[in-house]
Amino acid sequence: MSYICVRDLEKRFVIREKRKKGALLREKKTVRALQEVSFDVDQGELLGYIGPNGAGKSTTVKILSGILTPDGGEVTVGGRVPWQERKEHVRQIGVVFGQRTQLWWDVPIRDSYDLLKDIYRISPEDYRTRLAELTEALQLGDLMRTPLRQLSLGQRMRAELCGSLLHRPELLFLDEPTIGLDAVSKLGLREFLQWENKQQGTTILLTTHDMEDIVALCPRVMVLGHGQKLFDGSLAALLGRYDTIRTVTVSYEEAEAAPELPSGIPVSREGKNLTITYSPDEYATAEMIARLQAAGTVRELTVQPQNIDRLVAAMYREMDL
Amino acid sequence: MRAYLSAFRMRRKMELQYRGAVLGGVICQVFFGLILVAIYRAMYTGKPQEIPLSHITSYVWLQQAFFRMLLASDPELTDKIRTGSIAYDLCRPLDLYGFYYVRIMAQKMTGSLLRAVPMLVFAFLLPEGWGLMLPASAAGFAWSVAGLFLGLLCVCALENITMGFTMRTLDARGMQALLNLLMMILAGNILPLTLFPDSWQRVITLLPYAQLLDAPIRLYTGDTPPSSAPGILLIQGIWVLLLTGVGILFWRANQKRLEIQGG
Repeated sequence: MSYICVRDLEKRFVIREKRKKGALLREKKTVRALQEVSFDVDQGELLGYIGPNGAGKSTTVKILSGILTPDGGEVTVGGRVPWQERKEHVRQIGVVFGQRTQLWWDVPIRDSYDLLKDIYRISPEDYRTRLAELTEALQLGDLMRTPLRQLSLGQRMRAELCGSLLHRPELLFLDEPTIGLDAVSKLGLREFLQWENKQQGTTILLTTHDMEDIVALCPRVMVLGHGQKLFDGSLAALLGRYDTIRTVTVSYEEAEAAPELPSGIPVSREGKNLTITYSPDEYATAEMIARLQAAGTVRELTVQPQNIDRLVAAMYREMDL
Repeated sequence: MRAYLSAFRMRRKMELQYRGAVLGGVICQVFFGLILVAIYRAMYTGKPQEIPLSHITSYVWLQQAFFRMLLASDPELTDKIRTGSIAYDLCRPLDLYGFYYVRIMAQKMTGSLLRAVPMLVFAFLLPEGWGLMLPASAAGFAWSVAGLFLGLLCVCALENITMGFTMRTLDARGMQALLNLLMMILAGNILPLTLFPDSWQRVITLLPYAQLLDAPIRLYTGDTPPSSAPGILLIQGIWVLLLTGVGILFWRANQKRLEIQGG
């Protein structure tokens, strides 16, 4: 049996609507946050979990981490049912909710770690080695004595990650860990997650809206929309279906270069620069480049696939999300 | 157990950081203490009462010194519930009720001791009829310390029940305002319970709020003789068990129906 096993997961929320005029009571509406969601995750996998806002991603994470009790279906993580054996379960997991904080606001982060050590009953030797390891990997050395409130967002996220990984969890949930981070912090964070995944064999489940996170980290991706699972597979396979536009920009040495292109391909010219767009299904990229090169001396040529956010947007549109 | 102790120490450490607030609190409480004492002195000049004036002034000073124990909810904890950061605490291999209980206790205990020590020294130095009297007897003093500790357990249990309400309403203010008003009156902070009519006292002293400060103060001043101390402590103990039990059941029920809203 796989490490995480989810079968026909159901979760409903009751929402009370605004009282209608003349009505005595507010009407209740039931929202199905998750409908028959099933999937398996093996130990050591790095799984991306995407979907538009309100798709049910966080709900899934909350159920898997034992915070919420589902209304139907079965879940086991490492053989345990999260919400029934909460204490044993949470000992094996780490969580990072990108928009909340687990460390104490007014005290140095090292003190928060010391408390976590006691909460998870980490032995002093293990604590020392693990903390040293994480301090180095996350570059927290200079920050240990700084209160959390004085850290920048990027530093704080690193500190949060350290706190969630001190007890060497088997499974790590990351809920939008790169939200609001600058480019350097994002890259560093991704590198660290890959390192943690390889070194410790930690299973990581990542929910995010940043597609670059998924591209960089996750061989497997799952798409959730309206509480249903819509796709489960590799990112390439997912995007292949929506990757329908290539943009080629070429700049010639001569201003008058006019390549012979099949009719129907839009061409826009700006001085010596030429931009064409076409579908890779209809025309091979190699052929297009050959045609462009035949027209004159090429100084520079770039081929761009469609922006990944646009691809995802197209996918959400088609799936009617 | 160690985790709870550790959490207690951590919260204590945090409380110790706010030394400016301690100074402000002490000044404020001294001010209130002096005014209240002045009022009772004026009333006694008009019509002397059975209860000696020194008992009343001592009552006032002890109430003011341990004010922080009564009226101080931890905004950090209510914020956690309001914003959903409690999600993290739910992911710990701990009992949530106990985890919050020790933090409330650390805050109330550290906060009130920090303020009480300088204030009691100040009150001792005041002239006869204005300040704090020495305890009626050594035994009475020992019983009152024990009673104060039970009172602390009682007030922490009460506070945790308020937290339980916050989980339901997501905003602590309404329930806090209501319960704090009850507490101020029924704990003897506004008017010493010893000055209530005797028939009232018979009921009021049995309520949980009287167990917080009123019971230990009476043991200190000797209004309650040391011989009846075991009975008083028994009532306190019963309330501690009862309030803690209710709190635990309440939290357990809450945890089942908890929703952490928003992303």
